[in-house]
Amino acid sequence: MRKFILAAGVALAAAALVAGCSSTGAGAGSPSGTAPSGSSSSSGASIPSQGSSADGGSSTTDTGPAGSSESESPSSNTSSQAPPAADPSLKATLTYAVWDQNQVAAIKANLKGFNKAYPNVTVNVDVTPWGTYWTKLQTEASSGTLPDLFWMNGPNFQLYASNGKIEPITSQVSSGAIDPANYPQALDAMYSLDGVQYGVPKDFDTVAVWVNKALFAKAGVALPKPDWTWEDFQRTGKELSQKLKADGAYGAAAGMDGQTTYYDTIFQAGGQVISPDGKTSGYDSPEAKAGIQFWTDLMSSGASPTMAQLTETGADQWFLSGKLAMYQGGDWFRAALIGSKIEKDVTVVPLPKGKVQATVIHGVANVVAAGSKNKQAAQALQAYLASQPAQQQQGDMGAVIPAFNGTQQGFVKSMPSADLQVFLDELAYAKPLPISKNTAAWNALEAKLLPDAFSGAKPVADVLGQLAGEMNQALAKE
Amino acid sequence: MADVSAARKPPTRAGTPRDGSLWWIHVVLGVGGFVMAFPFLWQIVMSLSTQAEVQSVPPTFWPAQLQWDNFANVFRLLPFFSQLRVSLLMTIIQTVVQIVLCTFAGYAFARMRFHGRVFLFGVVLSILLIPSQVYLLSQYQIVQSLGWLNTLAGIVAPGLFSAFGTFLMRTAFVNLPVELEEAARLDGAGPLRIFGSVMVPLVGPAVSVLAITTILFSWNLLLWPLVVSTRADQMPLAAGLATLSGNHQIDYPVLMAASLMAMAPVLIMFIVLQRRVIDGLASTGLKG
Amino acid sequence: MAMDAARADTVTARAGGTRSDIPGRPGRRGGRASNSSRGRVGARRRTDGLWPWLFTGPLLVGVGVFYIWPILQTLWFSFTKWGAFGGASFTGISNYAAMFADPEFYRSLLNTAIYTLIVLLGVPIAVVLAWLLETPGLRFTQFYRVLFFLPYIAMPAAIALVWRIIFNGDFGVLNWAMSLVGIDGPYWIATPGFALLAVSIVGLWSSLGFSMIILGAGLKAIPRELYDAARVDGASRWRQFRSVTVPMLSPSIFFVLVVTTIGSFQLFDLLYALLGSSNPVLPQSMSVVFYFYSSGFVQNDKGLAAAVAMVIFVLIGLITLAQFRMQRRWVHQ
Repeated sequence: MRKFILAAGVALAAAALVAGCSSTGAGAGSPSGTAPSGSSSSSGASIPSQGSSADGGSSTTDTGPAGSSESESPSSNTSSQAPPAADPSLKATLTYAVWDQNQVAAIKANLKGFNKAYPNVTVNVDVTPWGTYWTKLQTEASSGTLPDLFWMNGPNFQLYASNGKIEPITSQVSSGAIDPANYPQALDAMYSLDGVQYGVPKDFDTVAVWVNKALFAKAGVALPKPDWTWEDFQRTGKELSQKLKADGAYGAAAGMDGQTTYYDTIFQAGGQVISPDGKTSGYDSPEAKAGIQFWTDLMSSGASPTMAQLTETGADQWFLSGKLAMYQGGDWFRAALIGSKIEKDVTVVPLPKGKVQATVIHGVANVVAAGSKNKQAAQALQAYLASQPAQQQQGDMGAVIPAFNGTQQGFVKSMPSADLQVFLDELAYAKPLPISKNTAAWNALEAKLLPDAFSGAKPVADVLGQLAGEMNQALAKE
Repeated sequence: MADVSAARKPPTRAGTPRDGSLWWIHVVLGVGGFVMAFPFLWQIVMSLSTQAEVQSVPPTFWPAQLQWDNFANVFRLLPFFSQLRVSLLMTIIQTVVQIVLCTFAGYAFARMRFHGRVFLFGVVLSILLIPSQVYLLSQYQIVQSLGWLNTLAGIVAPGLFSAFGTFLMRTAFVNLPVELEEAARLDGAGPLRIFGSVMVPLVGPAVSVLAITTILFSWNLLLWPLVVSTRADQMPLAAGLATLSGNHQIDYPVLMAASLMAMAPVLIMFIVLQRRVIDGLASTGLKG
Repeated sequence: MAMDAARADTVTARAGGTRSDIPGRPGRRGGRASNSSRGRVGARRRTDGLWPWLFTGPLLVGVGVFYIWPILQTLWFSFTKWGAFGGASFTGISNYAAMFADPEFYRSLLNTAIYTLIVLLGVPIAVVLAWLLETPGLRFTQFYRVLFFLPYIAMPAAIALVWRIIFNGDFGVLNWAMSLVGIDGPYWIATPGFALLAVSIVGLWSSLGFSMIILGAGLKAIPRELYDAARVDGASRWRQFRSVTVPMLSPSIFFVLVVTTIGSFQLFDLLYALLGSSNPVLPQSMSVVFYFYSSGFVQNDKGLAAAVAMVIFVLIGLITLAQFRMQRRWVHQ
């Protein structure tokens, strides 16, 4: 009986707590759909991972010899390289939540450097698989148990920022610990809301075209030039498909991943997916129609596998099997290519030009929880991870393209046979990934309605009209 | 149901079949068994292939070289043995506690008299009607307020209480003859003694079935441990496997290898327990 | 083995009636505990005092804290409106109204029903297979049992990937096998109706093992004498199956039906894993739990999600109740 009363009391206490802030249980199965257009975490390191999780998640209080992270002289316009006035007496235990197991080695190297300045701060790295990361984060946010520092991506950012769950970096900017000018402007803008920046970009990804030179040679088609246009792309794709038909290979591939396909073409047509104020859809414009029509034409000309084929077998698989000559993908794809049988045949060319040149840029940011009990330490960690030495380390270890200007050489060198510099050059015309407060809601609409436009089942204009209407409704609800 | 059977087998002559006509049974069972096992055969093939072969279009049916490395890589990518230990610990705790709680409660619901018995049993059963995802946030906050976040207690707690198990055990007890109980009571035994010495020994097979299902449920538990704990060395194996599925990249061969390795202990447990079920049944003889 | 399915008394218990309307079998099975003790025990005890509470206490406490309380919370939240993180405000039945006006909801119901029906087909299949396994003098039974049980212990994520390859429209084994008999297989996972069918096939495949265990245990418990008696009367094996096996097995069959139905209604993980999160066909193939997830996590409308959860609760409850009622007619006592 006593147990019963005790438990009842506990339940009542829980109820009180819950009534304060939470929502009902809404856990999800393994894959979470809240950010289908992907974060830009590139998995896979070009260096064999150093037994990444043998001690997965344990703390690193390391006051031993320095890690390999001493920085070279700063390049052009960087200001501060390390957080000013490090306080060695600061004592705390932090939780740092991430979703990519493959980056843990680089993070640990960063932490070694961090602990030299802050020997008494212990950091636990918590890896949650991508499919569960957002479910867990929402659960924690609703319960006040957010990790002190965690990864954030574009699609989810505004939700957390607008609900006051993450801490702005204003104080760090004014103290000089972080200088937004060191990072791609588009990303700084993406992680700002109402003029206040909350997140520090940690890496970035752009999209270009991976080409399989061997297939081009086999078909007797010339490789694309850097300034090629939409017409060139369509023509080349069609020609390749025709010539490679006997091998069951294709020239190009459409797909449902906006970040690598139709967002880019919409931008290239001069349009946009969502208005800058995030209130109206950009789909009902002639530019968006042109951007979508691009893929419809690609499929109807036979240059691309059909929608059904692509659903079952992703374009990346086609490419990796040597059955696709051109693949629009992000730089993260490099991880899959290294060690594959086509690695030596691959190179990179920029996206073709529509009315303008454009590519989509996205990157992961480190954010501090607004309710963190160790805010000072967490912010110190945030600043350190964004500093030049730490970013240089990340770049050298090859897991991602670091965001800090001038630290990306390690990435470029990781695959010498391919022209990875293209990804960096594209920064000049990169547009941020379209996001809003509830990105997932209209992403779902895109996934539902666009396939008919691509496959030609319905006229593009009709589909886009419907999509814009429903998207505007969703945006109005935010 | 009768019609399905009719369609499946030709009518035999009256009389018992001898060995000769059993071959077709082997055919049916063999084909059925093959269909059941086929995906696993494929999984084995995938676990011995390279990533390129697994993802190739068209698929590769047999790897050029058997890649035993994939199995070794599992140990490199996961703290396999720590997670195995956690899984074992979780499973054993949940199975034992469930068996105890469900057996006691099942007996009470089946045979004891108390007010609200029917209502309470209905309430317990009703929790099966809600999908598990619905419970997530509430249970998280309850565990949080108990201070059990990031502890083994927090991971195992909700899984200790099973409506299915109670249902199962109650059914088992209900099917036991009343006379046994009556006789024991006439001999002056109290409820605890009746329960322990008379009833429990007779429901061995049901306990075995409960054990099997609980072990499986516990072994594959994924979402809850991931959300409740933040330390990789506290994760069970199923959660660890999930970390192999990255955002952009899944290492298929290693995932397959790890999955096979994770299945092995349960398979062994099943083979062992299965015998006990059969033996248990044989010893009780009758249905009751 | 006393694994036979829920008994008639549970039906009467739920229906709130008394036991007298059940044609109880005389002898072993009579005397179901009820509030009206009937003569047999001599009205010695009304209640067992504190003992039942001690026996059920821990379970009830755990269930109450971890399950019932969340259900009550969900019920409350189904009448409120809020987004991702908090700020609930009472809105009456507007969530329910929105749900019942949403065609996607009905679609998800239909899909779940189709899936459930197909998976339930596995029950008669399991009955026959389990019966075949019990053929006297059959060898390798242990081996077959393990084979049939394998799907049940598979780790869902990994096995779903394998199935995707099997279902592949161009190169999958299934279409290849169908092409041998001249059928041109569809792009299973990418075509609306076929995607659900594919998911159902995998659902059936993985639940067969569980059913066979329960049924196998039930079969073992059928007394030999009944078969011997039937044989003496000249019944063929087939006839024995129909007149002895099936009726005696009916409680177990019932149990399997109930559990499988409840389980099928919770379809979610398999859908996601097999079809993939970016599959255009996914919205048309969604299940009720998927609809719940979509409301709560994609639309970020947790109030609506709670309402969906409540409706699922009532639905499954009604179906289960109906099954218990119908049990009277065909389940042998």
